[in-house]
Amino acid sequence: MEAAKTGCPDDETKRGVLAHLEGLEAQMNRACKRSEKPWRVQARESALGTKIRELRRLRDKLKAEVKRRQQTTEKASLASTECDQTVETREQEALERKRESVKAILQAYRFTGLSGKLTSRGVCVCISTAFEGNLLDSYFVDLVIEKPLRIHHHSIPVFIPLEKIAAKYLQTDLQHFLFSLCEALNAYSGRKYQADRLQGEFAAFLTGPLQRNSLCNLLSFTYKVDQSSSFRARLLYEDLTVTLPTDVTVTPQGTEALSALREEQRAAHEALFRTEPLHKVFASFAREEELSVSVAS
Amino acid sequence: MLTGFTITDYSKKTEDLTTAEMTDEGVKKVLQRHRISGNCHIITFQLEFQIVETQSKENISSVITDLGIVMEPTEYSELSEFVSRAEERRDLFMFFRGLHFFVKWCEYRKRTFTHFKDKYPDVVHLPEGPYSHCMGIRGASCPEFELVIVWRIHVDMEGKVLPQLDLLPGVPRQALQLDRHGVVDTAPQGFRSLLGVLGIEGTLESLIGSMQ
Repeated sequence: MEAAKTGCPDDETKRGVLAHLEGLEAQMNRACKRSEKPWRVQARESALGTKIRELRRLRDKLKAEVKRRQQTTEKASLASTECDQTVETREQEALERKRESVKAILQAYRFTGLSGKLTSRGVCVCISTAFEGNLLDSYFVDLVIEKPLRIHHHSIPVFIPLEKIAAKYLQTDLQHFLFSLCEALNAYSGRKYQADRLQGEFAAFLTGPLQRNSLCNLLSFTYKVDQSSSFRARLLYEDLTVTLPTDVTVTPQGTEALSALREEQRAAHEALFRTEPLHKVFASFAREEELSVSVAS
Repeated sequence: MLTGFTITDYSKKTEDLTTAEMTDEGVKKVLQRHRISGNCHIITFQLEFQIVETQSKENISSVITDLGIVMEPTEYSELSEFVSRAEERRDLFMFFRGLHFFVKWCEYRKRTFTHFKDKYPDVVHLPEGPYSHCMGIRGASCPEFELVIVWRIHVDMEGKVLPQLDLLPGVPRQALQLDRHGVVDTAPQGFRSLLGVLGIEGTLESLIGSMQ
């Protein structure tokens, strides 16, 4: 409202000021109307504040939930790793046990008398020998797996007919070759064992040296029968796979004819040598002697 | 496996038998108890044996002091005697060698018998099946006559395995009365000579031929 600025001095001045005041008031009213009233503002503020607080609460709640879930997932993954590890450890232990068992079984093949080890070229076969429960020497044959199969090197004594056995079976039947060799070596070991024991333990019975060949299949010796007489024994093991002689001859030392008793004894001894291992025969002689000594005394 | 044996299980227990006296003399004595399970073809075995190992300054000696063998199947009577002998002599290796050759011969016998059964199904019969130890030959023309081939696999004292074949002619009494030349009596001997000449398969083939 435009107040006239011209006019009488007082009235007009008063009217001017009043008018100005009115104008200001009107302006203020307009401004008040435009902006809200204070109590509304407060109400609105508090409403917003509540909303903010609520939102904050919700945010915190969600944050906590996320954290909680994260922790749970971590624990779960940790647990599953542990679980995997336990399963893995158990599997490893089982594998280890199985490996030990296989190793043990491979060792056990020695007890069958024939065992083999793979080599870069083929296989090395170990042949074990024994006689009457006594484990004796072992021998080996190193085979090269080629066509034809060949023996690279071996520890078989030269007097064992390796070439003959190989010629017969090596190319056609490896198993037969190995078992034949096994037979020959075990028999040789057994014969050698008997001869060694005779020479060692029962040397007192021998009146002369024990004559033996390297194959131990021809033995010749003289032994005391009693105080006065002795016999000569000749044992031939023609079959190289046996440990009992195929041919035995017991003859008296000296030229005189044998008495009936002596002849009986000679025949009995011959039979003994044919059916019992050498050292067992002499062990029985030793027992007889002991008996006769104890009877005499 | 290379040797025809398969070991399926092995366990070992060791016990120290060294006394104070032995230790003074520098001797060590250990008792090992072994248990092996396995099989050779269709025969399964279970062995338990003890080895005493004595170690002195000069040498080591290992002696098998006890051997127990259990085998399945037990129908092979020829084997049971051999097994007892092996146990008695504590001869572990002889047992395995003998078993190997025995099984080989068994398999060969089975193959031979089965071959003839397949080739002449009407004439040949195996009373105990393929693992039978005898084979009967009966001609269709004269069913009363039967030639029975008995094939035993014998294991001797040393563990050597040998086949033993015998012929048992089954002839009705009336026919025996007619047999003036004693052919039936000499048949078993003739059979053995034939074996020497023709071998096992040749002999069986010729016998079957004669009955057809």
